Amino acid sequence: MKPELEQLVHRAQQLYEDLDLAAVRTWKQAAPGRKAIGYMPIYVPRELMHAAGILPVGILGGGDRLEIIRGDAYFQSYICHIPRSTVELALSGRLDVLDGMLFPSIGDVIRNLSGMWTMLFPGRYVRYVDVPQNFDPKVGGAYWRRELETLQGDLTRLAGRAIKDDDLRHSIAIYNQNRQAIRELYQARSWQPWVYPTSELYLFLRAGNVLPPEEHTELLRQYLKLAPLEEDRKEKDHSRVVLVGMFCEQPPLGLLLTLERAGCWIVDDDLLLGMRWLTGEVEVEGDPLANLVTAFLEQSTATASRYQPEGDRGRALVESVQHNVAEGVIFCAPSFCDPALLDQPMLIAALDRESIQHTQFKYSEDTGQFAVIREQAGTFSDSIRLWSEA
Amino acid sequence: MTTATSTAKASVASGLITAGVDVGASAVKIAVLRIGDDQDVSVLALRADRIRRRDLRSVIREGYALALEEATVAPEEVAYAASTGEGEMVDFRRGHFYGMTAHARGAIFLLPEVRAVVDVGALHARAMRIDERSRVLGYRMTSQCASGSGQFLENVARYLGVALEEVGPLSCRSAHPQQVSSICAVLAETDVINMVSRGITTADILKGIHLSMAGRFVKLLRATGAEGQVALTGGLAADVGLARALQEKVNEEGLAMEIHTHPRSIYAGALGAALWGGYRHRVLARRAGVPA
Repeated sequence: MKPELEQLVHRAQQLYEDLDLAAVRTWKQAAPGRKAIGYMPIYVPRELMHAAGILPVGILGGGDRLEIIRGDAYFQSYICHIPRSTVELALSGRLDVLDGMLFPSIGDVIRNLSGMWTMLFPGRYVRYVDVPQNFDPKVGGAYWRRELETLQGDLTRLAGRAIKDDDLRHSIAIYNQNRQAIRELYQARSWQPWVYPTSELYLFLRAGNVLPPEEHTELLRQYLKLAPLEEDRKEKDHSRVVLVGMFCEQPPLGLLLTLERAGCWIVDDDLLLGMRWLTGEVEVEGDPLANLVTAFLEQSTATASRYQPEGDRGRALVESVQHNVAEGVIFCAPSFCDPALLDQPMLIAALDRESIQHTQFKYSEDTGQFAVIREQAGTFSDSIRLWSEA
Repeated sequence: MTTATSTAKASVASGLITAGVDVGASAVKIAVLRIGDDQDVSVLALRADRIRRRDLRSVIREGYALALEEATVAPEEVAYAASTGEGEMVDFRRGHFYGMTAHARGAIFLLPEVRAVVDVGALHARAMRIDERSRVLGYRMTSQCASGSGQFLENVARYLGVALEEVGPLSCRSAHPQQVSSICAVLAETDVINMVSRGITTADILKGIHLSMAGRFVKLLRATGAEGQVALTGGLAADVGLARALQEKVNEEGLAMEIHTHPRSIYAGALGAALWGGYRHRVLARRAGVPA
């Protein structure tokens, strides 16, 4: 690896591994009065926080780098892992740098975590961001507008400054640039997954959880520029797969590496979906809150934590397979993730109708043994390459 | 389906050159093939290198260079270099095939009549039920325990002061095989030490170990639903004592299976990878609209 890219990857890796949020602390210390608010995976209107001068910080649990000592005491054994490690992070003081937490509606566990947070940390700003499941502008749109206005009021008080329309328009433009860079990266990875391996792309995407969007966009642009200069990144005869099910609790990096080593090029995924929730740009001109509402209603991505009429999500998955010229789908969901696992039968039915091959397995964010997954993914890749034309 | 032909150094001028590199836990096996337009296969070179304590990437690179030299083939003539086993170590590979896929294909190439494979490597053993196209229909693997692996047998041979190539013939000469623990490598090693102190012959000890291992493999085979002709592949396929013990265990349990080995069985993974490489090269060429 050339030194310039090596440094860039190293930085992204450091940000990924830093459970103490040092980058956030550094950002806050750079100017007096700066505030940061954490948010759990899936969509929150980061533009509002940015417009208030607040740094939105994505919190994705402790992954495989945190020993759970206290977190397990709060949850039954049949609950997913991310709330345990998130509670552990908070109780160990690692999240003290945050001035508040937003919990978007992903599933029951994250919704209930917002209530637990209120009890565990009285006095800290906590809000359950209950995104609409009705996409009629007069119903869900009106509701979402009120939610955004409430959140805007909260953030104004927290930041100690009003969020002007021009501030919000500017923030929308900044996040549009960030979304555009991510879309370009995903498109580039889809074309040449050997140039932008997912195990690396993920690190760069994840850096956006702790960096201001302007800095994150620049980081992505540099990666887009530098990765193709690596001469040893050559095309290999791997199968092209879409990964589904990882929109909330993230898989350990080792799992992504394992899939690639097992002969799978990941050409689309739902990792860190909150950053890519809006599939297009948000209109900058006009009423910025109305633009955010319209974008949510019209441009939300297809995923299990969002209501869609029967068949729509299956169609979206098939379209992703076709658009990315994928040869198969790997359902890779966290254990006990109800939204992801309950959707699987419908998605599988949609794939079966199109004769698209698929396999499935489960993980936990702290999974450390990948031998079985490697065997399964490798055999799946072989099956696609050797038997799909039989 | 292609079958094994004799080693022929570039005897066919036309055809596709492919290579398979099987990176195991203790040895690297390499096969270089020429696959003719009529799917006739010539084995141009076969090579096995023990890794010992050497740098694995160096062992692979050096072995590959020597295999190509033996095949009188230049690296750029290789249309598809495929890896199997610990494939990420093969940085010149174009594609990787999973161990089961490669061994199944290699087994059918060497012994077309087989419908099941027992692949015994240094650290693991697995049984597969396959069809006539070498598609894996079901499989079972040994657990983490080492007592069903080649490494265990190698350790015992070392304790007994027996060269690896002598293990099989010695085992075949056993008159009174001694039963050893089939559960745990540690207990089995203790058994062996006790036997030595009791004056049990080396042949009887080795046969006892072979029977113990064979018992585990028969369980794996039975679990896959295998029947009929069974190929033994992997590093221990050259061990005639193990093959005989496996057949004895199969007979003892009244199963309708015949165990086969082939002089090239230890190369089954490398051969299978090279053969699949040839298939994939043609598929990719056809998709790209270029001649293979």
